[in-house]
Amino acid sequence: MITIYHYLLLGAVLFSIGLYGAVSKKNAIAVLMGIELMLNSVNINLVAFNRFLTPDAVTGFIFTIFVIVVAAAEVAVALALVVKVYRERLTSNVDEIDWLKW
Amino acid sequence: MLQQFYAVLTFFGFGIFFAIIALVLAKIFGPTNPTAAKITTYECGLDTQGPTWVQFKISYFLYALVFLIFDVETLFLYPWAVMFQKLGLFAFIEMIIFIAILVIGLWYAWKEGALEWL
Amino acid sequence: MAEYYLLGVEIATALLGLILLVMGLLVPKTHNKGIANIAIIGFIAIFGVNFLYAGTNASFLNGMYLIDPFSLFFKGLLLIAVFFTCLISKDYILEQGYGQGEYYSLVTFATLGMMIMVSAGDLITFYLGLELNTIAFVILVAFRKNCAKSTEAGIKYVLLSAMSSAVLLYGLSLVYGATKSVLLTEIAKIINQQGIQPLLLIGMIFTLAGFGFKVSAVPFHMWSPDVYEGAPTPITGFMSVASKAAAFAIFVRFFMIALAPVQETWVIVITALTVLTLVLGNLVAIPQTNIKRMLAYSSVGQAGFILLGMVAFSKLGVAAIMFHSLLYVFANMGAFGVATVVGKSIGSDQIKDYQGLWKRSPLMAAVMLICLLSLAGIPPLAGFVSKFYLFTAVIEQGHIWLAFIAIGMSMVSVYYYLIVAKAMYLGQPEEGAEPIKVPGSVQLALALCLIVLVFFGVYPTPFTNLVLDVATAFFPF
Repeated sequence: MITIYHYLLLGAVLFSIGLYGAVSKKNAIAVLMGIELMLNSVNINLVAFNRFLTPDAVTGFIFTIFVIVVAAAEVAVALALVVKVYRERLTSNVDEIDWLKW
Repeated sequence: MLQQFYAVLTFFGFGIFFAIIALVLAKIFGPTNPTAAKITTYECGLDTQGPTWVQFKISYFLYALVFLIFDVETLFLYPWAVMFQKLGLFAFIEMIIFIAILVIGLWYAWKEGALEWL
Repeated sequence: MAEYYLLGVEIATALLGLILLVMGLLVPKTHNKGIANIAIIGFIAIFGVNFLYAGTNASFLNGMYLIDPFSLFFKGLLLIAVFFTCLISKDYILEQGYGQGEYYSLVTFATLGMMIMVSAGDLITFYLGLELNTIAFVILVAFRKNCAKSTEAGIKYVLLSAMSSAVLLYGLSLVYGATKSVLLTEIAKIINQQGIQPLLLIGMIFTLAGFGFKVSAVPFHMWSPDVYEGAPTPITGFMSVASKAAAFAIFVRFFMIALAPVQETWVIVITALTVLTLVLGNLVAIPQTNIKRMLAYSSVGQAGFILLGMVAFSKLGVAAIMFHSLLYVFANMGAFGVATVVGKSIGSDQIKDYQGLWKRSPLMAAVMLICLLSLAGIPPLAGFVSKFYLFTAVIEQGHIWLAFIAIGMSMVSVYYYLIVAKAMYLGQPEEGAEPIKVPGSVQLALALCLIVLVFFGVYPTPFTNLVLDVATAFFPF
């Protein structure tokens, strides 16, 4: 039997993996991938809560749609900036983006 | 609940089983006489010329970004389309406004040359 | 049919943003100097529209969107901030020579996002507003095309803010799970019934981390000095006042309405954040040599002062937060206005280049001095009054030690503000340094800041009555 706890556990594990990826990876693209994982774990949480706690309402589903769309917009902007940094310095390594004191 | 997944499990099992069967049969019945040409990496018939990590045209990337945005924005259209009969005219006008704003964005991308394929 | 007339301000702002964008496309690049003026006039008009709603206390779509005195106050604040930003940016962007339409429409959309944030009555609306303003700000931060530092600031901002909003969202999803609702008032009701649960507690902590990032509270402040340094100076000013004020508005709403029943729990964490922010923000500002970085750390310190109002959790506390946020707009926009013009004409943002500024431009030196003194909280300037209320609010609740730390750090801040004042008034300009010409629009902005700071310092009564009135909504007793 798959219960809400399985989904929440999946969400938590995914969030942790994403957070680890986002803080440990050096490539800006990989950092973005980590962030996407975190956002997807949020989506799993929202959908699971909605499905198991309030099956008649759709609040969580709506929230998920907004999260997906906003995440896409954010990633598009971030990728455009990564390309720009790459053109300027021929690197997308976040450790080397250090002209401003970090 | 879990019973519903038996079909998936069975499917998975058969998939792996047939893959193994095919490989084992090929190993048993196939003739083996390796030559130098046979064991090289096979990629579309020819060896690669020069480095394979080449730069893509940047305009391809711009296409991809614009596509990504418009692709995902359609997500809002699905719930609207499903409930269209119930929502009536007002929701229709709202969706027109939403699409109009998107079209301004597309117009901007067009005018700034993001869609040019040089 | 919902009552769409309630959304007048937001609809007008969205329309203005679209009009500016379309104008940027249609008007030939050689004739687009007027776009700034249209933006400025548009914002004045929207400010007037905002006044039409004075006294409204309504909600839209079952409480998803609130048009109450609190949100109207903050919308007014945002409109003032964006008005000053446009005034300061006018010549700056003209000299950049590109992207007139894009710049002003992005500024407008950032404002719209923050408006949605301050009026949000549920978590979805709040998240949407937050991201709208963050994405617009990311592009604005990276707006200087031929400056690699600007791009770098942009990429740092987008990566860190995306990470923080993911953390914030995870927190929000847990809060939603624990209370089965996204409406702030519903959440409060349900927490009242069932008390605090582990799930809610974890959600609260994650949410707090996200909010801490947005208001740049220590230890989530690392982004702000870098981003502030790399961004175009008018945008730095806009971000430091508007984005912070909007974040504080929803911070107050979320913690003082939705999580009010569990105040004993979160106040401990926020007190720790406050102390850290006050101490680190003010101490690290001392060794800075770049004026924008110095102002960045000072804004971290100011966030600490505003957090005092959260710790107080009282009517006076909320009122003081509102008062301080508004005066902070004038003080910081004045300082960044001067930094914009000086940075543009000298070509550097180092504090040592402010040597003898009073000889080169008496107006700018005077405005900078008044703004910095107001930030430091020296009487009779407005900053003193608002800090006084913040300290009183904390002492009223019995946290006298906290008030002592805050007053001590206020002294520290006087020191680093006076370093700039010393350079401006006691230092000698370099040989042959010419007077700096201040553009007319910036002159207007600076004069307005000066007048407001002095006026509200001397005669704050009508204004304090207003903010106390508005704060009654949170603590109706």
